[in-house]
Amino acid sequence: MSHSERSDIFLLDAERTTWHDETLWFVREKRDKAVYATPEFQKLRQLASDIKDHTLSRLDFYLQQFEENARRNGVHVHWAADATEHNAIVLGLLRQHGATRVVKSKSMLTEECHLNPHLLANGIEVIDTDLGERIIQLREEAPSHVVLPAIHLKKEDVGDTFHKYLGTEKGNNDPQQLTETARQHLREKFLAGQVAISGVNFAVAETGTVVVCTNEGNADLGVNLAQVHIACMGMEKLIPRLSDLSVFTRILTRSATGQPITTYTSHFTRPAEGKELHIVIVDNGRTQQLGRPDFRASLKCIRCGACMNTCPVYRRSGGHSYDFTIPGPIGAILSPNIDMRKHASLPFASTLCGSCTDVCPVKIDIHTQLYKWRQVLGEAGKLPASKKWSMRLLSRVLAKPGMYSAGGKVARQALRLLPHGLTHGQGYNPWAIARELPEPPQQSFREWYAQQPQNDKA
Amino acid sequence: MKVALFVPCYVDQFYPQVAIASLQLLEKLGVRAHFPKQQTCCGQPMANSGCEQDAKPVYHNFVDAFQDYDYVVGPAGSCVYHVRKHFDIIEQTPAVQHVRTNTLELFDFIINVLGITEIPGSFPHKVGLHLSCHGQRGLHQANESEMTPVRDGQLRRLLSGLQGLELTELTRNDECCGFGGTFCVSEAGISARMGQDRVQDHVRNGTQVLTGGDMSCLMHLEGIVRRQKLPVRVLHAAEILNGVIIG
Amino acid sequence: MSSREKILAAVTANQPAEVPLPTVPFFEGDASVEKFTALVQAIGGRVVEVAALAHLEEVVRQLFPADYRMASPLLSSTNVSVDAQTPLAVLADVELAVLQGEFGVAENGAIWLPEENMLHRALPMITQHLALVLSQQQLVATMHQAYARLATVGGYGTFLAGPSKTADIEQSLVIGAHGARSLTVLLVP
Repeated sequence: MSHSERSDIFLLDAERTTWHDETLWFVREKRDKAVYATPEFQKLRQLASDIKDHTLSRLDFYLQQFEENARRNGVHVHWAADATEHNAIVLGLLRQHGATRVVKSKSMLTEECHLNPHLLANGIEVIDTDLGERIIQLREEAPSHVVLPAIHLKKEDVGDTFHKYLGTEKGNNDPQQLTETARQHLREKFLAGQVAISGVNFAVAETGTVVVCTNEGNADLGVNLAQVHIACMGMEKLIPRLSDLSVFTRILTRSATGQPITTYTSHFTRPAEGKELHIVIVDNGRTQQLGRPDFRASLKCIRCGACMNTCPVYRRSGGHSYDFTIPGPIGAILSPNIDMRKHASLPFASTLCGSCTDVCPVKIDIHTQLYKWRQVLGEAGKLPASKKWSMRLLSRVLAKPGMYSAGGKVARQALRLLPHGLTHGQGYNPWAIARELPEPPQQSFREWYAQQPQNDKA
Repeated sequence: MKVALFVPCYVDQFYPQVAIASLQLLEKLGVRAHFPKQQTCCGQPMANSGCEQDAKPVYHNFVDAFQDYDYVVGPAGSCVYHVRKHFDIIEQTPAVQHVRTNTLELFDFIINVLGITEIPGSFPHKVGLHLSCHGQRGLHQANESEMTPVRDGQLRRLLSGLQGLELTELTRNDECCGFGGTFCVSEAGISARMGQDRVQDHVRNGTQVLTGGDMSCLMHLEGIVRRQKLPVRVLHAAEILNGVIIG
Repeated sequence: MSSREKILAAVTANQPAEVPLPTVPFFEGDASVEKFTALVQAIGGRVVEVAALAHLEEVVRQLFPADYRMASPLLSSTNVSVDAQTPLAVLADVELAVLQGEFGVAENGAIWLPEENMLHRALPMITQHLALVLSQQQLVATMHQAYARLATVGGYGTFLAGPSKTADIEQSLVIGAHGARSLTVLLVP
């Protein structure tokens, strides 16, 4: 299915679409308020962008510097070329410690690698501890947003889910009470967790530190209670210096939710005494993207989700319409790198309005990359044949002024003479599903112009 | 100053009155623009569909048609933006560079080249201004809500100067209308929904006349207004401004 | 070739020509008690000014029920003793932890809490309620000044800003997700 086909399913429930749009627009407005209140915000965006550009340009150096410092701190560093290797490393560590259960805080990387199904298939119990992640885990769904994984659900949906799995009263849809239930339920899991997995927001090369940002405290609680902490990170999470965190901690949550900072911005440098800290550095297509000059800037992404909240398409189609771990505009430029055929419709799921580019805290030229992916897909023969041939024909006509004039005249005549039912047939004219066609005038402008006596005919 | 009027293909075919208004408005402001009839289209429909290579002959035709003019002025921010930004894939001859640099959106030209910041006249209606994303975010013709709470821009100023005109304050000042070129048919469902939401914002806040600088957005919004039989008139801003000046 | 070598070789081959690393300016700002207090309140915490360090014990007794199971290296009236080896079952029952914060950040209400001040790494999150003692003299304006103060982040440390919270259900803000249900900043002279 293409993005538009999946969107049409989402759009069937018009009220829910309105609610989804308004809920995410509310997040965008919170972001705006926080941004307007930070006078140097645009300078911080530029700095963040420049720091990330620099890091990508010396990534081989920073990866090694990070590894060396982390090892010196008593941290075990692992390298995974792809998702399969990543999952094998994590499973191997669990087996090595005889662990049968693991608590996990939010990590888009592990979602990308489909770690949960792999561990479950190997007899490991996996508990997602972020509230939103836990909700969708119980429902066996994928996250629909990188920061708000369950934003596609209404409180009634969560109430039903908790009634079914956690024994809350039927019809109890109060977010406060549902959250309290999850707190009690997950406390037991935290205390019984042998190994804890976390994601990584930033990895500081000069100190070998990984930084994890949460509001709930689930990452800290999980890893600080467990014997072993496994932090999984994409290799693009690196930044050179500790002081660079001052820039990123100021823009991350302001862009994401409008908060001035997350509740917990935690720096893990050495394992606690007697415990273990493992860091898994993952490639999984990132070096390939690094080698694409038009698209490498997508690796600067800090997963704030601002481009999703602002995207007028995402807000009305829902995260699942992208059918990719990272939805929204940033997902639409990351996904073709992973599977061009499967995700060929995503770069077209945009009006190219450019709002994504303008909210992006690290200044990724998202809408330009969407445009460029379209060209790559066109050249690679990944467009529907009807589109390819109609565009080729259109180019022929538009390159020849005479053909264009004559063709336009015929088309206008046809529009005027044919009955409305025929020109607005919804089966073959998608324009007409919700819109009237323009009323075709008698004369085109060029015909009118040629008739004006005062105009030269040059 | 030799000025050419660039009339995008869909304006030529479906909205000749917008091109006529642009021509007359320029004339009233002291500029006699020519319409080189070799022109057809900027090539954006093909390029946005991923067929940029197929659009190259169209780009060359555009440059051939306009290279002898000092300025190329068009009543459509999106097409102008396409010429300026995306004609980078053909050889950058002096002619190509000249055309790219000097192709301007109509109101950008009026304000920044002609230096006209106020047009006297009266238009006593509640007017809703639709900002074209490519005009606003692409050509920087208006402030962006992503950057600042201050709502300001070229057309907002020109329209605000008209007597009796009251601008609608929209709930979402610069949300995209959902036209998006071929997006409007390839993602017809989302496109329609975006357009309906945009029109609703105007209706809710009292717009009687819906206007803007980009006829492509307005074509889409007008299609929705007419389908829903709403009491809203859709006019390109050139039609309003040309209409208020006593010629 | 190991994955490490393969990845590093691909990075070297694919990374662009080096571009410079910018110097981050020292953006200044308001480091006042008023600003800091306003931010802590905005993120769901409360600030209580303590007239003198000597009154700390008394203030804590006024603010929290006397029968709370409390852990703190700062007060003599604690009834739970916690260190890095404390069993989880004991930790899980802590109702109040009173810990020393190093410095506060006025722009966001965050307080730097290094491992050394935590008794156990999990204590600030597992306790039901958290109080951080902070000197009024130890406020900085922005995160730039904050990181400039940190010569090292130690083995583990966190910028802690307000109580644990979530908005994962319909964007409704709920205080008290998995970490402490409340955060009280005890501001001492």
